[in-house]
Amino acid sequence: MNDEIRKSVRRVDAVAKASGLAKYISDYNFGDILYARLVRSTRPRAKIISITVPELPDGYYYVDHRDIPEKGKNRIQMIKDDWKVFAEDEVRYVGETIALLIGPDREKLLSLLSEIKISYEDQEPAYTIEEGLACKGGAIVGDDNIYGEYNLVKGDPDTAFNNAARVIEGTYRTGFQEHLYMEPQGMVGTWEGGRVNIYASAQCPYYIQKSVSGALGVEGKEVRIKQVTTGGAFGGKEHFPDVIAVPLAVAVNKIKKPVELIFDRIEDISYTCKRHPSRITIKTALDKENNITGMTIDTVINGGGYESSTLIVLQRALLHGIGVYNIPNAHVRGRAVATNTFPSDAYRGFGAPQGLYAIEMHMSQVAKELGMFPADFKRKYFIKNGDMTITNATMKDTVKLEEMFAAADEMSGYSKKIREYKDDPYKGIGISFVNHGGGFTGNGEQEIIKGVVKMKRTGENSAALYVSNVEMGQGLQTVLRKIAAKELGLNYTDIEYDNPDTDIVPDSGPTVASRSTMVVGYLIQECAKKLKTKWDEGVGAEAEHHYKHPSEFKWDQDTLQGDAYPTYGWGINVVEVEMDKDTYEVKTTGIWTVFDVGIPMDDTIMYGQVSGGVVQGLGYASIEKCEVLDGKFRQHTMADYVIPTSVDFPQIKNRFIDNPYKYGPSGAKGAGELVFDAAAPAYADAVQQLAGKNIYDIPVTPEMIMGLEE
Amino acid sequence: MVNSYRPTTLPEALKLMETRDMIPFAGGTDLMVKYQSWKGTLPRFPKDVLFLNHIPSLKKIEVNGETLAIGAGATLSDVIDYPRTPDILREAVLSIAAPGIRNIATLAGNICNASPAGDSICALYALDASVILSKSGGERELPLPEFITGPGKTSLGRGELLTEVRIPLKEANLQVFRKVGTRKANALSKLSFSAVAEIKGGTIDGIALAFGAVGPTVVRSKELEKKLTGKTLEEIKVLYKDIIDDYSAMIVPIDDQRSTAVYRKQVALNLLKNFLESGLLKEMQ
Repeated sequence: MNDEIRKSVRRVDAVAKASGLAKYISDYNFGDILYARLVRSTRPRAKIISITVPELPDGYYYVDHRDIPEKGKNRIQMIKDDWKVFAEDEVRYVGETIALLIGPDREKLLSLLSEIKISYEDQEPAYTIEEGLACKGGAIVGDDNIYGEYNLVKGDPDTAFNNAARVIEGTYRTGFQEHLYMEPQGMVGTWEGGRVNIYASAQCPYYIQKSVSGALGVEGKEVRIKQVTTGGAFGGKEHFPDVIAVPLAVAVNKIKKPVELIFDRIEDISYTCKRHPSRITIKTALDKENNITGMTIDTVINGGGYESSTLIVLQRALLHGIGVYNIPNAHVRGRAVATNTFPSDAYRGFGAPQGLYAIEMHMSQVAKELGMFPADFKRKYFIKNGDMTITNATMKDTVKLEEMFAAADEMSGYSKKIREYKDDPYKGIGISFVNHGGGFTGNGEQEIIKGVVKMKRTGENSAALYVSNVEMGQGLQTVLRKIAAKELGLNYTDIEYDNPDTDIVPDSGPTVASRSTMVVGYLIQECAKKLKTKWDEGVGAEAEHHYKHPSEFKWDQDTLQGDAYPTYGWGINVVEVEMDKDTYEVKTTGIWTVFDVGIPMDDTIMYGQVSGGVVQGLGYASIEKCEVLDGKFRQHTMADYVIPTSVDFPQIKNRFIDNPYKYGPSGAKGAGELVFDAAAPAYADAVQQLAGKNIYDIPVTPEMIMGLEE
Repeated sequence: MVNSYRPTTLPEALKLMETRDMIPFAGGTDLMVKYQSWKGTLPRFPKDVLFLNHIPSLKKIEVNGETLAIGAGATLSDVIDYPRTPDILREAVLSIAAPGIRNIATLAGNICNASPAGDSICALYALDASVILSKSGGERELPLPEFITGPGKTSLGRGELLTEVRIPLKEANLQVFRKVGTRKANALSKLSFSAVAEIKGGTIDGIALAFGAVGPTVVRSKELEKKLTGKTLEEIKVLYKDIIDDYSAMIVPIDDQRSTAVYRKQVALNLLKNFLESGLLKEMQ
């Protein structure tokens, strides 16, 4: 049965997207439309002294915080509601929204925009983690710039360190990463049916509904959000769309006309959220026999000017901070710091890649110190079913890492090559081991999301499914159809599933956290079973299914103790590289991956996820440099913020190891972020193997490698 | 508001250039980026625009005697396809952007953009290329290093158009072009290196070494090249350290969003050493 569902089918969106027929937000015609341009802060940290707006011709509007309805609130209701819709008297980062300038003629808008004069009283900004921690220029948030701190303790790390024969330490840093989805951010707001409607390129229609209704001070259903075909997201369209949807909604609420707000590429790279930079210090305590007895991990991430989802990202970084290892005594500490950079937010992996990068590099470096090869050392500490996790619950997964390693080793020749290249300064091979918890952390699916799905019989041999989850290139519209069709005994093309509209679909949650196949897919599977029992009621028969947290998984969100995730996807990446002796350029000559995603729901779609995720991770590891200069992203064009092309990396050889999860549809687990997590540490490990020097930071650029040699 | 003109003959174009100050526009792949504005608005050209891509005579590539003449309308793809294009120029042009851009961008445009990171420029310096600047009633020929005066700056005079690139076709049994980009394709240069040498009977008969993106303009020293010319293998071995030191003193790059000064300098010297050791010295043995 499982072999049937994994068989590849043609994606339902393949022809429309490959032929150019698919309609993205820029392709719609809303008739007599107005255009919006953001009036943004040009200062990283300042008090606004005054704003002078030129006299506006008829049909032009300047919309700012004074236009928020009285019953509303000048706050974007994200996970935390600290981020203002429109800046009022202060700005915390370059690009902060101050107002919208709206009108029918774009040339005129640009000329009016240039006449808006804002005078500021500048304050000293803090950009880096260190500057944030030091409260440079005075605290931006609270009295210490700390958005939040968590501590996870397992066993007795203090005693382990007191009794240690030696301690090995390393500090690892990762930078900003831009999503560079193919379609920039964009949406159109309209006034239809006496309320605000938003047509958006987005991952989470109900998040936008919550933010917009919260700021306008109306009930959720009093605004309608319609997702339109979305050209990529990677987390960049999880929360950020709220940041432009809310001011747009305030404008439409005022003007009662359709308004378009679509970013150009440079605008998009310059003024959207990036992955959180991190600094992670790991100390490992070893006994006389060189066994690990304890570990401390101190994680700091840069949240930028507003908190938004930063603490949830931090939690995931900590929950994945110890990787796939069973360390008897450990303390994982985490802090998120406020700075004057553009607020950081969701990006594929949501904190896990930063934590996993650090632990994987550290474990390889400890191995080297002990005269061992990385894989031989790491395998000694693989967590197993029944072992205690960092949140003091037992590992409930059947962990197949050994079987996966055997497959990776057989495919890549890792064990042989790592010995062969030992003294070769120009060839290296790296390996990494990761896991990734599927769905929301802990009991978030139950307590926060409360997902609901609906299905309906629509014809003799057809049915419709209603979910708020979106297709953004990952293949969801095909996979969820396959899951429903399998239960109903129909062809997947007989299932209807439109881009979600909050007027029509129930809230099955956001399209994030590797949850759509595993969690929503399971709800669909169970809902389809219900619908099947009602099938004979005829066309129009409906079924609904609500999420229920499996009772064997316990979680306390206040203490972060218990089963952090009901299950994990597992992954191994092997990357082989060669270095040019003159230019220090690294050429990747082989990539081998092994993943446990439960059961793949479609072999080709899953291989697409592997290819995209791994190469995106390799870009993060090698070329995607994103620096901040005077509060602005220095690499803000596609010429300077470079991501890999098809010639930068070879084809990936991948194998899936089956390990069905009982609460996933046909055994599927989360996969969309797992495939990103392992690439960066495997690549950096390969380079440090050839260089014979430890690597601590990514991206590992030729400039950095040259520096290692000195 | 700017006007645009679309002549179909060179005299017509030159006449227009005489009457007003205009931006010559060939492929437009740099200009359209430079002057782009918000979607749905016109690009922000500061002056009138003269389109050159409808003048057939400018598209010609031909060999006259021992000189390759590349018309200002010839695209990068045309240059790649032309059988007598020198190898290092072909390699340099192949390293620019992607096929779509190369199908419309021109070699003359790459020169007039005068970017320190212009990939064809580095190779053209090593090939002793010159440019023909035409105006109504006359033309002048300038060696490329005299034409490019700084980042984005040229000595193109009022009323003049760059109409042709000339490359003397010399014997050269050693030709090397290396580009170090931000990635393997469709990338801008961190630096580039071009070398051309003719070895005859164990001695250097002629040599040219050029370094791109390590200074405001391409770095090439005829003086240092003169020192090498006529030398034997043994003599080069003795001079080796001096050569490196001399070039090291000339290469003074900067830090920017793509790379660092330290890296650029070190790698430029590494590429020079590599050329001397595994190219030149081997060829001379």
